[in-house]
Amino acid sequence: MPKSNELIAEVSGVSKTYGAVQALSGVDFSISRGEVRALLGKNGAGKSTLIRILAGVEEPDVGTLRINGKSLQGAGVRSANALGVRTVYQELSLIPEMTVAENLFMGQWPNTFGIMKLSEIFDRCEKTLSEFGLDISPRATISELSIAQQQLVEIARAVSSKPSLLILDEPTSSLGSGEVDLVLSTVKAISERGVAVIYVSHRLAEIRKIADSVTVMRDGQIAANLTIEEATPSEIARTMLGKLSEERASDMAPKPGNKIAMNVSGIRVGNKVRDVSLEIRTGEVLGIAGLLGSGRTELLQALAGLSRVSAGEIKTFGIPTHNKGRKVTRRLGVGYTSEDRKSDGIIAERGIDENLVMAGWKKVSSLGVVRSARLRKTSENLISDLNIRTESPKVLIKNLSGGNQQKVVIGRQLHVGSRILLLDEPTRGVDIEAKAQIYRLLRDLAAKGDAVVFVSSEIEELALVADRVMVLSSGAVVGTFDAPDFNTETLLVAAMAEPES
Amino acid sequence: MALNAKVGAVASLRGFVRQRVNEVGLLVALLALILLLSTQSENFFTPRNFSAILLDAALVGIVAWAATLVIITGEIDLSVGPAVAFWGVTLADLVTNFKVPFGLAVAIVLVGGAACGALAGWLRARFDVPTFISTLGLWSAFRGLAYFFTGAMPISIEMNPFLSALVGRVFGIPVPAILMFLLFFIFYFITNKTTFGRAVFAVGGNPKAAELGGINVTFTRVAVFAISGLMSAFLGIMVAARLSSGSPGAAQGLEFSVIAAVVIGGTLLLGGKGTMTGTLLGVLFVTVIGNGLVLLGVNSFLQDVIRGGLIVGAVLLNLIVARRSNNSGVAKAK
Repeated sequence: MPKSNELIAEVSGVSKTYGAVQALSGVDFSISRGEVRALLGKNGAGKSTLIRILAGVEEPDVGTLRINGKSLQGAGVRSANALGVRTVYQELSLIPEMTVAENLFMGQWPNTFGIMKLSEIFDRCEKTLSEFGLDISPRATISELSIAQQQLVEIARAVSSKPSLLILDEPTSSLGSGEVDLVLSTVKAISERGVAVIYVSHRLAEIRKIADSVTVMRDGQIAANLTIEEATPSEIARTMLGKLSEERASDMAPKPGNKIAMNVSGIRVGNKVRDVSLEIRTGEVLGIAGLLGSGRTELLQALAGLSRVSAGEIKTFGIPTHNKGRKVTRRLGVGYTSEDRKSDGIIAERGIDENLVMAGWKKVSSLGVVRSARLRKTSENLISDLNIRTESPKVLIKNLSGGNQQKVVIGRQLHVGSRILLLDEPTRGVDIEAKAQIYRLLRDLAAKGDAVVFVSSEIEELALVADRVMVLSSGAVVGTFDAPDFNTETLLVAAMAEPES
Repeated sequence: MALNAKVGAVASLRGFVRQRVNEVGLLVALLALILLLSTQSENFFTPRNFSAILLDAALVGIVAWAATLVIITGEIDLSVGPAVAFWGVTLADLVTNFKVPFGLAVAIVLVGGAACGALAGWLRARFDVPTFISTLGLWSAFRGLAYFFTGAMPISIEMNPFLSALVGRVFGIPVPAILMFLLFFIFYFITNKTTFGRAVFAVGGNPKAAELGGINVTFTRVAVFAISGLMSAFLGIMVAARLSSGSPGAAQGLEFSVIAAVVIGGTLLLGGKGTMTGTLLGVLFVTVIGNGLVLLGVNSFLQDVIRGGLIVGAVLLNLIVARRSNNSGVAKAK
């Protein structure tokens, strides 16, 4: 590996606060030419802030940042660009109906007086792609490519301008396991040209294949810099988590006598969920742990009847429901809430009351006419059951906090009598106090006999709330644990592992 | 390497066919329509009727080329019909009543047209005013002003060599049709071969990514509307020549025919996708249908009903085809 001691980027004593939140405090970080550095940390550990500071999106409150020996004064994506920093974010920014070549040089097309030099554009694209051994036609339109190929075009675009530092933010999270190797070999080729690469990922197998060293962040600080040999799963998990105080609900543990609500055997969804079997029981909270791209959302959608399975079967209260559609699962009492509350969950401009009953207007109306007294009574009951903080059921839902909005979204499922609740990331974007209330709500629902499936990327909250936890990695089940025989660390180690293929 | 090239060639051929599905389908539909009408009406397949069709097509096409650019950026220009009437009236008013030299009057009309279009584009780019609203406003204002200035009576305009040329023929082909094809090639070149044309696609496909790539999104939005306004003004001059007057009621419903032609041609109303060739076929399709309905003696009110059904049907077909090819794309990725 042509790694040298020449520093490409050097961050020293950097701190950054957003309002009352200390995102980074006193961070020192450096990376050398040709080095591939894996960057890990829980949500909110400060990874994104560090990346944004390196990319010039954010300006540090204190501390200095030097790229190639030159200090970057103030924020500025363009000045960071000029110093050779390129970032590939998770969401792709390609234009689907334009060709690979046009996207590669977006906005900077070679031209004479505004007339495109098409042959030069295609030639230069061809050259760039073949440099990295990519077998993609420059003339293909982006919409014809697979997600992995699109990701590679995005990376090729970033490196076509010969950067000295390339930042990749979870580049494999949307890829199936077979496609990951393509990205890895490309990253390797790039680093061999002397480009320093910061690789944000939590897939340990990937990190072992390409990284030279590992930086773990925690609570806005660098928790450890490890060599790749030192970076064992348990070491990383310990460093990521730090000291935890784990207070568990006392009644946790699978209870005998619980009935099977859903029985899933060997289902497959595209290449995102592979041969998953599980049991969902009434009266308990089943946690599903998995990193970004582990297939947790795809699994939940298949259970809810929102997507088709290509193999295996799902039985809900004994009745086969796979590929029967949402209507059938809904009738059997399967409730589902999406991880994207804002776009899939709430009707922002309507009141709490309407948001609560919108899945079952029949219960508050007769012959299609809404009975306002019944609507008020029903929504007031739900509001008090769920402990939603509001002055009136008529308040527009957009004026509630994230945690209260989430309770409304769950309440909507309760209103239509759901007995199996599939909740995808219900605590995302919710403050700590509201999280605790949602945990209590989930326990209460289980106690009253509902089956609750709780998907979360924050593994420590599963350790707090779930009776059983199933760990997904690359679409396969890599472990199932019963309370009290697990803690955050055991779950995290399991989630970072790759399944045997 | 040779294998790579071969794989690439196959992929791009498949891509070509998939992208052209709509155009190939439309061409087949157009030929079938021509065949059908030829058997149904003996007056259809005649040089005289074809020349009439081309003349009608020119009135739609010249504005439709610019509208294609507008719609590819994800916007809409509803003001074209009234704009044509207003600028025709303005030309006649300037020349006949204000005795402005003809050349200067033409310049004022063209610059004015571009400026009014640019205003709608600027309101969109600067203040996020939806162009559906700003051009709906222009639609009402242009028609109102055209009637106000003329007192609802056409203003006659004295024919001169320039205006006569616009209604003339070369080798039996109406000059407007020749101009339509000439402008088609210019617009085809702009969309496919210039950085501006590609910027139009980028802005329509993902404005944020375009901005990050260094494309001037504001300029692009203002420019496409300026071009649309310019083409409407130019068509206004042509219509004035044809009627040898500025008529406030001219080009009724033109915006409908233009948007129908562009959409039938496969351009996505959401932006980011569309072709000039598609619009050319769409223009011919809409015009041939209109011509055929007249020849077959269909009640003129019913003609509107048929046109209305046609545009909805065409969009429905487009969406079904798009969904199919999308699904196959996903299947391929998996």
